[in-house]
Amino acid sequence: MKKILIVEDEEILLHLLQKKLSQEGYQVGIARDGLEGLQKMREEKPDLVLLDIVMPRMGGFEVMEEMRKDKELKDICVIVISNSGQPVELDQAQRLGAKDWLIKTEFDPQEVIEKVKKQIGK
Amino acid sequence: MFLSAGKTSSVPSKMAIATKKIKELLEDLAYLESYAQDLFSFLPLPIFYLSPRGVILEANPATEKISGLKSYELVGESIEIFFGKKTQEILDLLKKEKLIEAKEYTFFDKKKRPIPVSLFAQPRKRERETVGYFVGIYDLSQIKKVEEELKKAQLALLNMLEDTEQARKRAEEEKEKTLAIISNFSDGLLFFDQQKRLILINPQAQKFFDLSAREVEGKSLEQLLKIEKLKPLIELLKKEEEVYRQELTLRENLILEATSLPILRERKKIGELLILHDVTREKRIERMKTEFVSIAAHQLRTPLSAIKWTLRMFLDGDLGEITEEQREFLAKTYKSNERMIILINDLLNVTRIEEGRYLYRPVFVNFLDLVQSVINLFKEEIKNKKIQFKLIKPKKILRVKVDQEKMRVAIQNLIDNALRYTLPGGKVTVEIKCAKMELEFSVKDSGVGIPQDQQDRVFTKFFRGANVIRMETEGSGLGLFITKNIIEAHRGRIWFKSKENVGSTFYFTLPLKEEFEEFLRKF
Repeated sequence: MKKILIVEDEEILLHLLQKKLSQEGYQVGIARDGLEGLQKMREEKPDLVLLDIVMPRMGGFEVMEEMRKDKELKDICVIVISNSGQPVELDQAQRLGAKDWLIKTEFDPQEVIEKVKKQIGK
Repeated sequence: MFLSAGKTSSVPSKMAIATKKIKELLEDLAYLESYAQDLFSFLPLPIFYLSPRGVILEANPATEKISGLKSYELVGESIEIFFGKKTQEILDLLKKEKLIEAKEYTFFDKKKRPIPVSLFAQPRKRERETVGYFVGIYDLSQIKKVEEELKKAQLALLNMLEDTEQARKRAEEEKEKTLAIISNFSDGLLFFDQQKRLILINPQAQKFFDLSAREVEGKSLEQLLKIEKLKPLIELLKKEEEVYRQELTLRENLILEATSLPILRERKKIGELLILHDVTREKRIERMKTEFVSIAAHQLRTPLSAIKWTLRMFLDGDLGEITEEQREFLAKTYKSNERMIILINDLLNVTRIEEGRYLYRPVFVNFLDLVQSVINLFKEEIKNKKIQFKLIKPKKILRVKVDQEKMRVAIQNLIDNALRYTLPGGKVTVEIKCAKMELEFSVKDSGVGIPQDQQDRVFTKFFRGANVIRMETEGSGLGLFITKNIIEAHRGRIWFKSKENVGSTFYFTLPLKEEFEEFLRKF
């Protein structure tokens, strides 16, 4: 069973994604900020991380920078969950190694599943 | 005579001699008289002879001339006809004085015209008794006239001198006033002459640049460029032909707006005035406002996403079975939420335009494909509203360099407006054509139109036509503002024609690179 970690500070989105992904048969872990996210990554070694950008304590970009420095984490697939979808933001996400991105207000949960499947399969 | 008295024989001859002598004397006398008479007549000066009581006894032709009266009319008249009320005074004076020389009086002629004269008089005596007066007058009118003119000229000259003095004083005062205004003006002012030398810098401008007038006045642009503190300003002046409300950031907390204007004197340019207005506070407020909207919009997006996803999962059955009625309500709520998301996105786009962060990444696209993909989004709405929709395609493939995402937004806004404000059964025509070196896009509708008195505000933020607000409450009033910014960022133009209750046509152009290059090749 593939493991997914959701790093997102918005409670509702977190739970909705958790439910949706669980229904799809993934094993889902959650973290509410970047620091917690990094810690969970080290513990759970997920196959994929859904990563929010703007979060308390540590943001998504910093998380990705930390991941790049860490041998154990640098190969984990990251899909960025962006709030703004601004080209500058997406460019930076790509530079830092994000495999894909989705803009919260523009995507349906079903599309999130599709993006996840595309990256790590069922 | 006594020596020859004894010689009687000589008596007759003496008599003859005497007679002859008398005759000669008489002749001499007659000659003398006629001489005197001639002289009297010839003299150009009016001379007349008066009795002791002031009656004219004789007058010469010059007197006739000045008075306009004939000699026979004058003789026997009192000199009152000449001097009026002053007559007695003259007679008294004549009695008292031996001689009157050059006393000024007013002489009246036949028509009672006053003539200024200078009067000369001398009594004529016989055995100590005055038997009459010789009076001569000298016409002063010509001299008076000249004198008057001289006086006038003198007065005029004095007046002129006074005026000049006053003008000088006024100019001085004006200059001081102007200088006081310049010195105390809250804007920074710099005056450059025609040779682009800095002639004047007011205290406010000195404060802005933290330097004194002595350091810079009289220097040319080149010399000023070497002064580090002035560099940003001088570089701006050298770069721009015309400076109008150009922003100039001097320090973290000092943002100026520079405007230059030519100073003309009698239609000739004598230099340039540069006005520096401190806009630090306005800019700060503007930034705060934009940031506020940006943050507010961002903050709104997160809960809107949460609502969107929750509703979606309900509708997809991910959260358990729901009844048909529940589904209907949730579907409507989902739609409302989508509208809210669009509105928030519009707001964010506006703040990005204002922050100057609205990025454009141009790529070459076939413009028709782009338009068709946008039209596809509206297929259902066109069908539902029974709109007669027509797309007039260009005669050839038109490729334009655009930011696809932004251009889609612009086209979508225009078509969306046309469909939204056209009543069911109406007509909407989209046309793409090539006009010279430009692509021209237009959307024509048979909709409600824009009221004439509101047409100049169409492209401003939050504009909504009064007739439109009544018919439909949806719409943020941001679409056309965003569209205009997108088109202009692509170096295009946007405009419209509209008539209330008839319809509107919105146009925009985009430069066609290939057409332009083709155009250049011809030359």
